Amino acid sequence: MHRNRGSWGFQPEDTLIEDSGEFPSSLELNGQKTELLAGCAMDVPGLSHRNEDVTSESWRKHRKHVFVLSDAGKPIYSRYGNEEALSSTMGVMMALVSFVQAGGNTIQSIFSDEHTVVFLQQGPLVFVSVSTTHQSEQQLRGELLHVYHQIVSMLTQASIKRIFEHRKNYDLRRLLFGSERVLDSLLDVMDFDPSFMLSAVQCLPLPSSSRDILSNILQKSITPNLVFSFLIAQNRLVSIVQEKTVAEDTRLKPSDLHLLLNLIRASSAFQAGEIWMPICLPLFNHDCYFYAYVANLDPPECTICLVLLSTDKEAFYAMAECKRKIEQAFMSQNALECVANSQMYCVEDVGVNNLRHFLYKPSNVMEHHRQLPQFTCPEMAVPYKSQEERIRLLDLYRNMHNRIHSTSRPLKLIYHSADGETLLAWVTGKFEMYACFTSLVTKKSAISELTKLLRWIKKEEDRLFICHLPKYSTTSQSGRVSTDRGRSDRANASDAGFMSLL
Amino acid sequence: MLMISPRMASGMQEKQYTPSLLSFFIYNPKFGPREGEEEKKILFYHPIEIEKNEKIRNVGLCEAIVQFTRTFCPTKPAKSLHTQKNRQFFHEPEENYWMVMVVRNPMVEKPNKDGKPPTVEYQEEEIIDSVYGSVLQQCYSMYKLFNGTFSRAFEAGGVELLTQKLEKFFYRYLQTLHLQSCDLLDVFGGISFFPLDKMTYLKIQSFVNRVEESLSLVKYTAFLYNDQLIWSGLEQDDMRILYKYLTTSLFPRHTEPELAGRDSPLRPEVAGNLLHYGRFLTGPANLKDPEAKFRFPRIFVNTEDSCEELHLIVYKAMSAAVCFMINASVDLNREFCEKLDSLVGPQLTLLASDICEQYNINRRISGPEKEPQFKFIYFNHMNLAEKSTIHMRKMASVSLTSVHPDLMKILGDINCDFARVDEDEEIIVKAMTDYWVVGKKSDQRELYVILNQKNANLIEVNEEVKRLCATQFNNIFFLD
Repeated sequence: MHRNRGSWGFQPEDTLIEDSGEFPSSLELNGQKTELLAGCAMDVPGLSHRNEDVTSESWRKHRKHVFVLSDAGKPIYSRYGNEEALSSTMGVMMALVSFVQAGGNTIQSIFSDEHTVVFLQQGPLVFVSVSTTHQSEQQLRGELLHVYHQIVSMLTQASIKRIFEHRKNYDLRRLLFGSERVLDSLLDVMDFDPSFMLSAVQCLPLPSSSRDILSNILQKSITPNLVFSFLIAQNRLVSIVQEKTVAEDTRLKPSDLHLLLNLIRASSAFQAGEIWMPICLPLFNHDCYFYAYVANLDPPECTICLVLLSTDKEAFYAMAECKRKIEQAFMSQNALECVANSQMYCVEDVGVNNLRHFLYKPSNVMEHHRQLPQFTCPEMAVPYKSQEERIRLLDLYRNMHNRIHSTSRPLKLIYHSADGETLLAWVTGKFEMYACFTSLVTKKSAISELTKLLRWIKKEEDRLFICHLPKYSTTSQSGRVSTDRGRSDRANASDAGFMSLL
Repeated sequence: MLMISPRMASGMQEKQYTPSLLSFFIYNPKFGPREGEEEKKILFYHPIEIEKNEKIRNVGLCEAIVQFTRTFCPTKPAKSLHTQKNRQFFHEPEENYWMVMVVRNPMVEKPNKDGKPPTVEYQEEEIIDSVYGSVLQQCYSMYKLFNGTFSRAFEAGGVELLTQKLEKFFYRYLQTLHLQSCDLLDVFGGISFFPLDKMTYLKIQSFVNRVEESLSLVKYTAFLYNDQLIWSGLEQDDMRILYKYLTTSLFPRHTEPELAGRDSPLRPEVAGNLLHYGRFLTGPANLKDPEAKFRFPRIFVNTEDSCEELHLIVYKAMSAAVCFMINASVDLNREFCEKLDSLVGPQLTLLASDICEQYNINRRISGPEKEPQFKFIYFNHMNLAEKSTIHMRKMASVSLTSVHPDLMKILGDINCDFARVDEDEEIIVKAMTDYWVVGKKSDQRELYVILNQKNANLIEVNEEVKRLCATQFNNIFFLD
């Protein structure tokens, strides 16, 4: 079943301005809107928290609230509860932001014994996080930035800017209609997935020969304006192939990849068909859309997913044809068997007694890690199998990450023995790692197990990481593809080089 | 391309600004609940030159923030507000009375070429909330020591009396705040105890008992030697703030003259008493002068229950100082002071030289005092005992530490991490400069050790700290 394009409610940028001129007055708009929203929220299963009572004790006690509002104080999103019911609370938040701003200052956060409130303003949007997790201000703000980027991935930054320039108290919910679950899903994933903390991607462990076969097939199945091909299995990256000149222009950041995967996950949810949807990659180019062709290759299990990104809005059939070719090649070489059989590894595989879990991220010394930052970690073992324990462990990792990467007093190593577990965080020129041991481990054992672990990772590194990022060459549209400011000089140079290819 | 500009030649460099007090105010929303009455809420505001409406706006912001955080947790509202340029700390010491301290973030001013104004970079991470939050709480404790609670003043003389007292106290006290040198010790607010052998301790105990018996008016006594506490009859919380006052305000005021040379005009008038070296630090400066007027400072203790107002008599002989606290309703005249002087003076003088002798004997036994081998800070939550080999002299003006301020901040971070759970923990970190910092928390005690051993590894650091614990702390800390 196709995603209903009409529900996006948008058109390419030029026509949007005309559209907004036809919007009815705000009063009526709100009247219609509330009805519409209420009807939608109750119909969709799993969204009952949208109607949670915001005056209740249980609402107050949530682990982390996230609110999105416009700088005119209009509510846009609340993780728990209906944002309309929270409009006065959001009004207060906006008042706090404005008041401090009026004094030539910027509000950043509020701390109390139980809560941390963090503010972020991006253009006309204001984001507020109210958290009981004791994460640092920087980390919470980083999460809010991801929420902003997810919204940009659906609307583009240029559109948002233009909409609010044109109409200061525009109700952005009109455009985000139905997308609450994308933000809900992002916030959930950020809690229990360390990828966000590490700004890295975790791939599916595969023998490199098998992975190369898959990558080669992807590399050969091209069509004009195709810029990225991803193969994803069990929610982990299997292979990624990029267009050559685009890759020279700028790297694909892990954050963009996470947002892309989240959008697909929250939108398609185990459907057996194909999807064609616009998506903006905010860190890559925050002002324009790519068009994503997404298909599951193994219905009905739907664990293996192919994603093709194109710059051409009309290329659906070309993409479908690409997919057909890829599928055929996969079948004839039985290439997907290794993927279906692949599993995450356990910490027992390393052969140590006290180590319970670890995160290992190589530094960007090696080229392939520079191109795509990656990390690896085993399946969560027994004490951390439950969602609650998993989040608790990640909270501990996050605290150490915060201390070790402090801007004013960074550290090289942290060793923390506590009642529940003993934790270690370690940053060197070659890697960054976090490890969790039983609380009874001695320092001597911890060090020797760590040494064993590092040796094991070195031995398995071909399998644990994507070591080779192949490229293809397709004639893409001319002109600047990315807005990655940091590489503007290089981009200009490659623009010139790019033009010469045509 | 290196450009040599005249400015560079003149050594125009980055300017580092340390945290400083921007404003400090006290308000009670109940005093001006209606619109148009906002000014009535404000009980004290520094700096006084701020325009009235701005004061009202700033107080309004604080109220809004407290209210907002109450939405999520009604019983635990905001404690601090972080903005780019400054940090505000909130404290509600008594119901509806709020104290707010606004500290300017440390910043670096980097000069720009071509006459452009310098770029300012704010360093928010340099301020640790727990440190300055504790400083604010201590402001209240100090006020309360000399004035009793806010409610008491309000009950006795309404808003007028309260604002008068606040103005009188905070105008002076705020000038003594040195925000650039606050650190972990401010979080502890501990007391340094003087190490004594049993015999000498018993001598002091019996001295106190004898004096309390002879001078039945004395309610509480505290005995200090060399800025360190030996014995106190006061409740812990009262003693800890009194200790801070004595060691950062009263004693330093009187030590300088003592250290002055024989012919210096600063040298205190010798009381002319050849029998002993005792003299009053509070009260009569010169007993011989019958015309001289004197009074003892009043302090308030046990404010939670009985709230007692007491005269504070501080009497010193050589390095020993005794505090006698007597009910304020009693009128202490010259006769009483002379009696105290003749009773306590000789005994205290003897005791002081005994202690000194014993101390020297102990030192000789334990070996010559070399540079303390370990840099550490120790604090015991149960008796408030604190010891630091890092701080050279903790006075009101400057706290000199022998380690880099960044290391002190790392200690502050570890302390914050410890405060999150009640269990015993150990945190060892290696800083970028290759210094190791070890924090141990065991059974209400905290120990922080700084080791400068560049090539040491975790095991070696662990062994070092074990050695320290064995010698100095008798294996109180026994984690692996």
